[in-house]
Amino acid sequence: MQIVSEVREPLVIGGRTVKDVTNDIARHVENPPTRLWLICMAISILLLGVGGYFVGDLAWNGIGRWGLNKTVQWAWDITNFVWWVGIGHAGTLISAILLLFRQKWRTSINRAAEAMTIFAVICAAFWPVIHMGRPWVGIYWVLPLPNTFGSLWVNFNSPLLWDVFAISTYFSVSLLFWYIGLIPDFATIRDRAISPTSRFFYGLLSLGWTGSAKDWMHYESVSLILAGLSTPLVLSVHTIVSFDFATSVIPGWHTTIFPPYFVAGAIFSGFAMVLTLMLVTRKVYRLENYITLEHIEMMNIIIIVTGSIVGIAYTTEFFIAWYSGVEYEQYAFINRATGPYWWAYWAMMTCNVISPQLFWIKKIRTSIIWTFFLSIVVNIGMWFERFVIIVTSLHRDFLPSSWVYFTPTIHDIMSYAFTFGLFFFLFFLFAKFFPVVNMAEVKAIIKDSNPKVYRARRTLVNEPLPPLEELAVEKEKTEVR
Amino acid sequence: MEKNKHFLVGVFSDHDDLLHAIEEIRAKGVKIYEVYTPYPVHGLEHALGYKRSWMPKAAFAFGALGTTLAITMQVYMMAIDWPMIIGGKSYLAIPDFVPVTFEMTVLLSAFGMAGTFLVARDLKPHKVPRIFDIRATDDKHIMAIDLAANSLSEAQMTTLLKEYHAEEVYRRDFTDEENSPSFISYVVDLFTNGVTRSSRISTHR
Amino acid sequence: MKARQEHYHIEEHFVFSDNTKKSIFTLLGVGFILFVIGLAIIAFGGTSHGHDSHALANNGSDVVTVSESHGHGHTYHWTDRVKVAFWHNSVFFMGITLIGIFFTAIQYAAHAGWSAILKRVPEAFGSFLPYAAILLIGTFALSYHEIFHWTDSSLYDPNSPNYDPIIAGKKGYLNMPFYVARMIIFITGWYAFYYFLRKNSLAEDIEGGTHRFWKMKVISTLFIIFFALTSSMAAWDWVMSIDTHWYSTMFGWYNFASWFVGGLAAITLAVIFLKEAGYLKALNESHLHDLGKYVFAFSIFWTYIWFGQFLLIYYANIPEETIYFVERLRSDYGKFIFINLFLNFFFPFLGLMTRDSKRKAVILKIVCYAVVIGHWLDFYLMITPGTLKEHGGLGLLEIGLALMYTAAFAFVVAQALSKAPLIAKHHPMLQESLHHSI
Repeated sequence: MQIVSEVREPLVIGGRTVKDVTNDIARHVENPPTRLWLICMAISILLLGVGGYFVGDLAWNGIGRWGLNKTVQWAWDITNFVWWVGIGHAGTLISAILLLFRQKWRTSINRAAEAMTIFAVICAAFWPVIHMGRPWVGIYWVLPLPNTFGSLWVNFNSPLLWDVFAISTYFSVSLLFWYIGLIPDFATIRDRAISPTSRFFYGLLSLGWTGSAKDWMHYESVSLILAGLSTPLVLSVHTIVSFDFATSVIPGWHTTIFPPYFVAGAIFSGFAMVLTLMLVTRKVYRLENYITLEHIEMMNIIIIVTGSIVGIAYTTEFFIAWYSGVEYEQYAFINRATGPYWWAYWAMMTCNVISPQLFWIKKIRTSIIWTFFLSIVVNIGMWFERFVIIVTSLHRDFLPSSWVYFTPTIHDIMSYAFTFGLFFFLFFLFAKFFPVVNMAEVKAIIKDSNPKVYRARRTLVNEPLPPLEELAVEKEKTEVR
Repeated sequence: MEKNKHFLVGVFSDHDDLLHAIEEIRAKGVKIYEVYTPYPVHGLEHALGYKRSWMPKAAFAFGALGTTLAITMQVYMMAIDWPMIIGGKSYLAIPDFVPVTFEMTVLLSAFGMAGTFLVARDLKPHKVPRIFDIRATDDKHIMAIDLAANSLSEAQMTTLLKEYHAEEVYRRDFTDEENSPSFISYVVDLFTNGVTRSSRISTHR
Repeated sequence: MKARQEHYHIEEHFVFSDNTKKSIFTLLGVGFILFVIGLAIIAFGGTSHGHDSHALANNGSDVVTVSESHGHGHTYHWTDRVKVAFWHNSVFFMGITLIGIFFTAIQYAAHAGWSAILKRVPEAFGSFLPYAAILLIGTFALSYHEIFHWTDSSLYDPNSPNYDPIIAGKKGYLNMPFYVARMIIFITGWYAFYYFLRKNSLAEDIEGGTHRFWKMKVISTLFIIFFALTSSMAAWDWVMSIDTHWYSTMFGWYNFASWFVGGLAAITLAVIFLKEAGYLKALNESHLHDLGKYVFAFSIFWTYIWFGQFLLIYYANIPEETIYFVERLRSDYGKFIFINLFLNFFFPFLGLMTRDSKRKAVILKIVCYAVVIGHWLDFYLMITPGTLKEHGGLGLLEIGLALMYTAAFAFVVAQALSKAPLIAKHHPMLQESLHHSI
């Protein structure tokens, strides 16, 4: 028997029953698409198409179309890459780390967050692939296949290669985790289907799931271990992304705090994106009973925590740059704050460090409008963080004669827009055809959230119990009806 | 495998009732064939007396395989087959090999274990599930008792189940076809006769 | 439906028995004897330029080498080793104490239910804070010159032959008044938070209700913010500034990770001791499992931080940075790095991997001993090579002193435990904790 303390808020409100959960979630999969959905999808496809034209141009003519130059060799492309990968961290964090920490509020949001993870990682992977210039021969550069382009094998000493392994492992394991979680819900939809087509397709996807106790037993074990594996995995991914910069000897890049600080930043931006998407999904799909203000507040608290960690990391970097006595480091940081890119630096500081502190105010962190607004602010801030790290560190080369100012071209902008098109295209597909809330997991917490049972449990004795007759007896079991 | 055909099915709404019923019924010597629930019920496998899942062992074995493969691959490629000095480090720059080793360990462990799970539980796209009660994936907990495996009579067991708060108790018989279904005929039947049962319109049996 | 309600024995009072006192004093005595023997060995054995059997040989060099980068302001005297040992233990035990408070705070801030039953244990750790503070400040007052190279005023004088422009550049942060002020602010701040947490916790026992819980949640949140800032700065001050030239942005978090795992293992050990002594009757295997998970997970976290710092320095290969690891790896301290990694990573990782091992007190105890020793060694590696260079050693002196500190810590914590009921009976999460099952 599970006991719920009186200081906890119910996770699902509105007196929903198990049956209601199935109806509320599955109906969006079963009903024909709404007009709103069709409009959103049309916009995404438009963005995808227009952006796709510029991406095709990049592939045909080469990445010289971007605003890169010989000093700033990495700019928007890698900024966007790191930004998308960062966003892709929240899903696994919610489903894996919060599972290990037994944070039950994650059940209503983990499905959509994981989907977001997968799509964000796809958008991230697009950047290094297109950056190869000739991606069709890139397979030899990134996979351990013997080749004749220089060394016989890929270079395992290179952080860029570590990235290949990290991102592809992360993508495939997240996909697996997501799919394993979907199996029982697919079975629910299969068993509710009234058309042969959906019964056939959801039947294929559900792998013949029946929900037998033995299946559940192994299933839970598999989920827990996948969570255990995903936790270090999600940390490793952004760590390795940070190694792309931190292993080099460029002032502003080579700093040991990068791994944990990048991870904190990734979770920070990922939660912001989850909030942006979930607030919209909640509204459109009327999931107010499942994604309650309590959920939103929890996510906002995580935003405060990670935002503050990021803030401490910024300060630490600044302080240690001064403390180190290395003039190059000192210059790199002074230049960030006061150099030609001062606007980017202060945009980052305002959006990432100052604005999330507003969430300390309970009114703001339980306000949907504020949360939505601040989640977008954080997303912008985290984009600027990567831009600041990458471009301000590069634009002041070791030779002052090569100092330049980077300006993006239309190709930079439109290929970024392309990834948005791709992301939303995939997300809307998901939102239509897959259950956006993990039904099985939410059903498991329904009983604890039932107001009748819940209120009854609230009054559970917490008073000192009458002294036991036999002290040797550890506990006595009494039947209470 | 020979599959039995005649079952007694008990339907429960509350998982605490279900757990209680399982404990009591098993204590009375009734063998439960299997229980089907819409969500994982904490303590269910314990109540049914199942051994703990052995999936952790599979995960460990595949993980160890991944570690070994990754180390072997990197050492062979970087230090034996085509040694090169990179960044002033020795051929065997062990710290540099850690990230890829870690990733491959996780990759093989996760996929190895998940694959083991699917194979061990016989979960595959073309599997036609043998469904006792279609509401098991919706909102009911379904307990199946094999009539042939128990000495108590059907009536006795029905009373027993009712006593422990089963909402409904009924008999469910499977045909040979249902017991060993063919995917092809299932699909043909589906598209010619349409969907016959759906938990959405709450027709069962 | 028949719901089963279980009644647990929650009225418990820890009695600091004579037997327990006797074992703690025995530990103290053994520590003292070892310490004195160690002292005698280095005091008398070290008057010539020989080494005692435990010292790290410096490969027969008779001259006290002057570190190239530092230009040590003084020559080595055997008392330096005693001073450094005191500093090392003071910093380490200060950390264990703080983690007790920090652990309590995160349980409140995160609304953790499972740990309610054992919350008095980490809470009691905080009672050592004043003693740790006295030991730390006392050691600093008596031996700052030997431990902290930057306290040498001639380094900042451009006319002195010792003038060091890099250290002089750090003067704004590394100067005595500011440093001491920081030390006092940190310790007073921590103590204030501990004081209010403890006060509310004890008041809850009498008053009941949930208002104390919410109050403690606020205090805990504020403490976490304060601790997040001060733990990093304390790490720079007390540990990183020993190697005055060297710097690493990760260092504060690395230090915290080491303290954290050490503290978690100490909490687990204390809980197991109490359980074995017949207390905490309602504490079940699931609670141990969770403690074991904490030690397991954060051992991996520590390794991640350790490796992240090491790899970046190793990879970039900048001499100013690599010197830190060169001093430790290419000297007689080298073996300790590997022992450190074994005790703090491989052993807990493999030892606590399975579910059963986390649920068995015996295995958990062995692993936690190893982890506490491992993190003590980790701090040894952070502090000793930078202060004693080739004169450092790990002998009876260090071990004896560590045992003495352990005994003092155990005594104070046991005293604190005996002053309040062992289970906070009005904790709103207590029923959840009593029915904890995973």
